[in-house]
Amino acid sequence: MLHLLQIDLKKLTSYRTFWIVCGLYFLTIGFSTASGMEFLKWLANTFDKFGSELNINRIPLYHFPDVWLNLVWWSGFFKVLLGIMTVISITNEYTYRTIRQNVIDGLSRWEFLFSKILTNLLLSLTSVILVFLIALVTGFIYTPEINWNYVFTDLEFYPAYFLEIFTFLSFALMLGIFIQRSGLTIILLLLSYMLEAIIKANIDDFFPWLIPFFPMESISALVPLPFYRYAFQEIQDYVDPLSVIIALGWAILFNYFSFLKLKRSDL
Amino acid sequence: METVLSIKGLTKNFGRLCAVNNLNLEVKGGQVFGMLGPNGSGKTTTLGMLMGVINQTSGEYSWFGRQPDNEVRKKIGAVLEHPIFYPYLSGQKNLELNAMIKQCPVENIPNVLELVELADRRDDKYKTYSLGMKQRLAIASALLNEPTVLILDEPTNGLDPMGIAEIRELIKKIAANGKTIILASHLLDEVQKVCTHFAVLKKGNMIHTGPVNEVSRGAETVEVNAEVENLSDVLLKFSGTESINPENGFFQVTLREDFRGKDLNKFLFDQGIIANHLVTKKKSLEKMFLEILSETN
Repeated sequence: MLHLLQIDLKKLTSYRTFWIVCGLYFLTIGFSTASGMEFLKWLANTFDKFGSELNINRIPLYHFPDVWLNLVWWSGFFKVLLGIMTVISITNEYTYRTIRQNVIDGLSRWEFLFSKILTNLLLSLTSVILVFLIALVTGFIYTPEINWNYVFTDLEFYPAYFLEIFTFLSFALMLGIFIQRSGLTIILLLLSYMLEAIIKANIDDFFPWLIPFFPMESISALVPLPFYRYAFQEIQDYVDPLSVIIALGWAILFNYFSFLKLKRSDL
Repeated sequence: METVLSIKGLTKNFGRLCAVNNLNLEVKGGQVFGMLGPNGSGKTTTLGMLMGVINQTSGEYSWFGRQPDNEVRKKIGAVLEHPIFYPYLSGQKNLELNAMIKQCPVENIPNVLELVELADRRDDKYKTYSLGMKQRLAIASALLNEPTVLILDEPTNGLDPMGIAEIRELIKKIAANGKTIILASHLLDEVQKVCTHFAVLKKGNMIHTGPVNEVSRGAETVEVNAEVENLSDVLLKFSGTESINPENGFFQVTLREDFRGKDLNKFLFDQGIIANHLVTKKKSLEKMFLEILSETN
């Protein structure tokens, strides 16, 4: 298994685009998550009333345990960059036809796909660790009084975040395998949320119970929007088991569809 | 000789087009097997099925008497159609990647690079290579796992005459080591020079198979000239003459069965004629190939 991961990493680590996209991803996540307080200060300075009605220091954006969910939710937006990387990685294999040579050289089709899935797992894990570290550091910086009881609560959002990223990357991989051309795949990937929103809006009146089963909906539901708590003092501060099951189901299905398509096609 | 490859009833349809139709073939160890056929005759499709990249419609094949799987492919070196590598990786790194896939030692890389004379360009990116270098790198990659079977599909495609000669020498060198080689080509001259056996495909059907040295058996043609005025009359008197055809200032004498060039030479000498030009021409594969193709029309 490690052998397959090494093969795929060997392809990627000498590929400049890979480092650029990953660098962009980690930089944007790092800067945007770490500068939330600065943003609030900017708001307070720009709009007179903002500061007087709301004491920004009392919004516990970066306080334990709020910081865990806040950063996880925010980082979720950037997964599309990782998705684009996955798309480039798989569509390159079709453009260069190296998928064909890989199979000729002795990889089975499943092994080829599995090497890509392993990379997706590794990217997801790296992202989780990165966000965790940023949250840990900013939490210690901004929390006025560290209460160790709070520091490590609400951590269940990290496995949920991992599933969110991995399901999305599985979706990207599947799109790449079916479409095989990078430009078109990336466009579809970017539009997938919007397309799903259109479908959801249309069936909302007839089958509202279907809504949670949509793939993008299910991975968004894994990590709920955290900011309600500052407005309404109430929040879903747990991971909904149903959305975990649905998202996990989609992750398995996406990779299974990829496998079926690979198995049946002539390379 | 052990059977390396056995194909039974292999068929591939692309929609309504039948690319390979009910192919039966056996390749034994140590053979240099040429697959001939015009463009689009199904050579590459056949090799693609044998290497697991094209799913056959029906039929089966076995390598070394085993059901084919990806482990078997690791023991075969194959270049199908064009060389395929990651353009942004250097030749060296591409081969390292191949070694990982084939699970063979990376220590083989310097040897194969040396063999195809690419050692001094190993660290340049693949996309900077010339076509000949790409072809040679592909052959290096095919040889990387010290395979007992080598599959080459049009290995001299797009090469200049020097490149063609180099690749041909390389194939001969490899064949001399006792490796089994399957060579698909439409360059008949090439096949005749390096192959021991051959098969002819046409529109997906195999229309001929046999050893290459059989081609040159049968009727011989002798090209003669001598400084005699009535040479053609003299030649007609020879009992082994089937027909005479003047061409390029020489007489092309087609001999009857069982007559050889030396018989004609002896006859002329007995007639007191000394030929200043006498060449025995073996029947070329090209001629035979065209005959076979036209027969089936």
